[in-house]
Amino acid sequence: MATQHSRAAARLMISPAVVVLLLWMIVPLALTLYFSTLRYNLLMPGANPFVGLENYRYFFTDPAFTTALVNTLLLVGGVLVITVGGGIALALLLDQEMFGQGIVRLLVIAPFFVMPTVSALVWKNMFMDPVNGLFGYIARAFGAQPFEWLTAAPLFSIILIVSWQWLPFATLILLTAIQSLSSEQLEAAEMDGAGFGSKFLWIILPHLARAITVVILIQTIFLLSIFAEILVTTGGGPGVASTNLTYLVYIQSLLQFDVGLGSAGGVVAIVLANIVAIFLMRMIGKNLDA
Amino acid sequence: MARAVTTRRKAVNTAIAWTIGLLIFFPILWTFLTSFKTEAEAISSPPAFLFFDWTLENYGAVQERSNYFRHFMNSVVISIGSTVIGLIIAVPAAWAMAFVPGRQTRNVLMWMLSTKMLPPVGVLVPIYLIFRDFGLLDTRTGLVIVLTLINLPIIVWMLYTYFREIPGEILEAARMDGASLRNEIIHVLTPMAVPGIASTLLLNVILAWNEAFWTLNLTAANAAPLTAFIASYSSPEGLFYAKLSAASTMAIAPILIIGWFSQKQLVRGLTFGAVK
Amino acid sequence: MHLKTALRGATALSVCIAAGAATAQDTTLTIATVNNGDMIRMQALADDFTSRHPGIALDWVVLEENVLRQRVTTDIATQGGQYDVMTIGTYEVPIWAAQGWLEPLSDLPAEYDVDDLTPSIRTALTYEDTLYAAPFYGESAMVMYRTDLAQEAGVEIPAEPTWQDIMAAAEAMTDRENEVYGICLRGKPGWGENMAFLTAMANSYGARWFDMDWQPQFDSSEWQAAVSDYITMMTEYGPPGASANGFNENLALFQQGKCGMWIDATVAASFVTNPDDSAVADSVGYAMFPSKDGVDNRGNWLWAWSLAIPESSDAKDAAKQFVAWATGRDYTQLVADRDGWRAAPPGTRTSLYQNADYQAAAPFAEMTLKAMEAATPDTPSAQETPYTGGQVVAIPEFQGIGTAVGQVFSAALAGQMDADQALQNAQQLTQREMQRAGYIQ
Repeated sequence: MATQHSRAAARLMISPAVVVLLLWMIVPLALTLYFSTLRYNLLMPGANPFVGLENYRYFFTDPAFTTALVNTLLLVGGVLVITVGGGIALALLLDQEMFGQGIVRLLVIAPFFVMPTVSALVWKNMFMDPVNGLFGYIARAFGAQPFEWLTAAPLFSIILIVSWQWLPFATLILLTAIQSLSSEQLEAAEMDGAGFGSKFLWIILPHLARAITVVILIQTIFLLSIFAEILVTTGGGPGVASTNLTYLVYIQSLLQFDVGLGSAGGVVAIVLANIVAIFLMRMIGKNLDA
Repeated sequence: MARAVTTRRKAVNTAIAWTIGLLIFFPILWTFLTSFKTEAEAISSPPAFLFFDWTLENYGAVQERSNYFRHFMNSVVISIGSTVIGLIIAVPAAWAMAFVPGRQTRNVLMWMLSTKMLPPVGVLVPIYLIFRDFGLLDTRTGLVIVLTLINLPIIVWMLYTYFREIPGEILEAARMDGASLRNEIIHVLTPMAVPGIASTLLLNVILAWNEAFWTLNLTAANAAPLTAFIASYSSPEGLFYAKLSAASTMAIAPILIIGWFSQKQLVRGLTFGAVK
Repeated sequence: MHLKTALRGATALSVCIAAGAATAQDTTLTIATVNNGDMIRMQALADDFTSRHPGIALDWVVLEENVLRQRVTTDIATQGGQYDVMTIGTYEVPIWAAQGWLEPLSDLPAEYDVDDLTPSIRTALTYEDTLYAAPFYGESAMVMYRTDLAQEAGVEIPAEPTWQDIMAAAEAMTDRENEVYGICLRGKPGWGENMAFLTAMANSYGARWFDMDWQPQFDSSEWQAAVSDYITMMTEYGPPGASANGFNENLALFQQGKCGMWIDATVAASFVTNPDDSAVADSVGYAMFPSKDGVDNRGNWLWAWSLAIPESSDAKDAAKQFVAWATGRDYTQLVADRDGWRAAPPGTRTSLYQNADYQAAAPFAEMTLKAMEAATPDTPSAQETPYTGGQVVAIPEFQGIGTAVGQVFSAALAGQMDADQALQNAQQLTQREMQRAGYIQ
């Protein structure tokens, strides 16, 4: 039982972490909130007058806003579907007996360690480039016109690149979960004459539920703020076809140097991220305590 | 044994798994191979796979242009520094939350994770101004602070879930023996927590190594890590695939090797202990 | 407590490592520059500077153009003081000088010979009679084409072509089977990428960005003609994925022999004729930037990458010495000794174009000079304008507007909308931004 004394000690031990994170959250957030009410362009220093909610009005009426919102959801959703689906399939495959399993595992896990900038540069130039890329070469070898990945299907291409980076993560976690499944359970099911389909649906998938939740939570945190991959490959274009919210805020605050508008966008993005956060926390909170 | 498999099935599994594994790994392999080609060979059609004149000239060119060792050392100092400081702050917090949970513990944990969702671009200008005023721009200290803060929630979470798995009775027993809080931590808790701390350390080093927004925006020359090194090889004039490949290989090789050696701990760490 | 100790520990650690790297120099200059070929050469030649100035050490920050621009602008606008020398263009110099962000370069040494600087470039880098940046290389725009392909296709490109000539030649040279595309033009969005080209092209069609009341003019017939011709040319005779191609991508395509013509910055000529990198070095011809029948305007493209010293630098004297070295006559000689006269930084000094060695080694010298002399950025369009600037509009808001409009035209090139739709979007978007900035009600 915790005593008064140990509670006080505990509070003392938690406080450094809470204090620094609180500072980290509140100071920039307060400044951002303040800037979002000013007409503040870095390129035009001056009085920076207070303009109330004007920046928010401009941000919400920006024709790119809805597209960016939809793109953000498509990007997160698309990557989650590919990595979770692909991850389950790969995990089931890697769980089978085979020669050189350790090496295959190393091959599959490797993309996770590649810097996002590097992977975006490599995919953009050496694979997806219609003239010099490998995909273009393969298409021409089969007598087809090379597909213009980054201009004809920009968001899809980015989803593919990001999925490549996160597939190893999903695979590893799901594989570990599958390996913890007791073989007696599966054997019992086999005795009862269950085929692979029903085994998967009734035993494996429920067993993986918790791991899948974890994959979704962690990936969502990182996927909501995807930035480097877009900057390097498409620059959010053509048009705004591959602009997500983070990138839209970037365009406004760092390409147009409109700190006021960018801050308003930042506040909106923070609010939206926290809505998603609360939703996810509920989900993960239940699953983690179980 | 019901689960025994035939050699034939094993061979089929092997073939499929290796094919998929090689496909997934291919972009990295291709980058590695391209780094040894000349610029002309790097874009030749049909592409040369293994039979080309292997050359080291790209590595020479990259080294001539940028001080790889300095960027590498910056990456090492920043990623390890931020992780170690993060651990120093997080270990007591996670210990307290795991063993003396209060009513607010869950909420505090949730709130911590939610700070990870702030989009960094939204707060760049405020942070830049603060850094300027404190003289932290382009310093390793500055980057260590920022990366500590952005990874702290993950560190606390991971440690928390590890510590929760340490049975409370052991601590009770130690207290019965009259161990002080300090001894309790040093002699009882630490040995049990070392594997968890180690895997937390590894994962955070990787995350900090690959962090490319703050490291690029808050540095110029002195503190610039490998992420900034790579940025100077992005879309220059003329042909650049081979040099880009060489620079990429140099930037990812250290962390890839560390990662390969530590994949088991990673799984454990990444899932916050939810997956065993 | 923990935090403090730890921070102290980390600082101590950093200091140790920094001390290991520290040398005897008293001053260290941090130089921010673009990863273009000429700048990379400057970095390679910098030993010459440090051996002459043993007290000065150099730190290089070499980045892609867009990233560099964002970094230096953030730094200078917040007075961050991270850089001592910045590489900026003719667009930024007068705007930044007006804000008092740049150190005047009024006391350059006599042997620097300021009067030798190309007049049009010097004017562009001057604000209120004071020079604020020194040009590293300067450029206008021109047509570069493959003489062998033109001959094969039986077309002739006159020295002063019209857009009709260009379109006819592009059609004749296109051979998709063999991956030869009649014309390569910029499509990658950005005010310094596709909008630089499109603004120059629109100028040559008689269009202007704004009328005298700052009303955007994308709804004019001139813009309509320019944009629809641009999209037609690129879809029918251009390379695949053109909406992602900027200067560097097109350079690579041209060097590989995949472009019949390329209309872009004159500085490209020294790269496409470099036999080490270019498969077509021997067969490049040059012509002036095209004009439209009946409009006496060849786009007025004028640009110079220049070295400037921010007010916030704490090593201004050393920085000045570096700027004088990198943009001086001796530097040109140094490049010529190492890589031949063809590689000398073009466009900044009149004396270079009088140099017989240079004229012999650089077949593009004459056309470059002619193009630069023809550019009149003070009167960009045949119509009256409230702004100056050739391929840019010299107001601070242009970066933002140009980039957004660039995205729209890039989307049109990618086939997401037609030319009319794109012009309509550009018009609305520009109107909105100009209202926000207070130019129009």
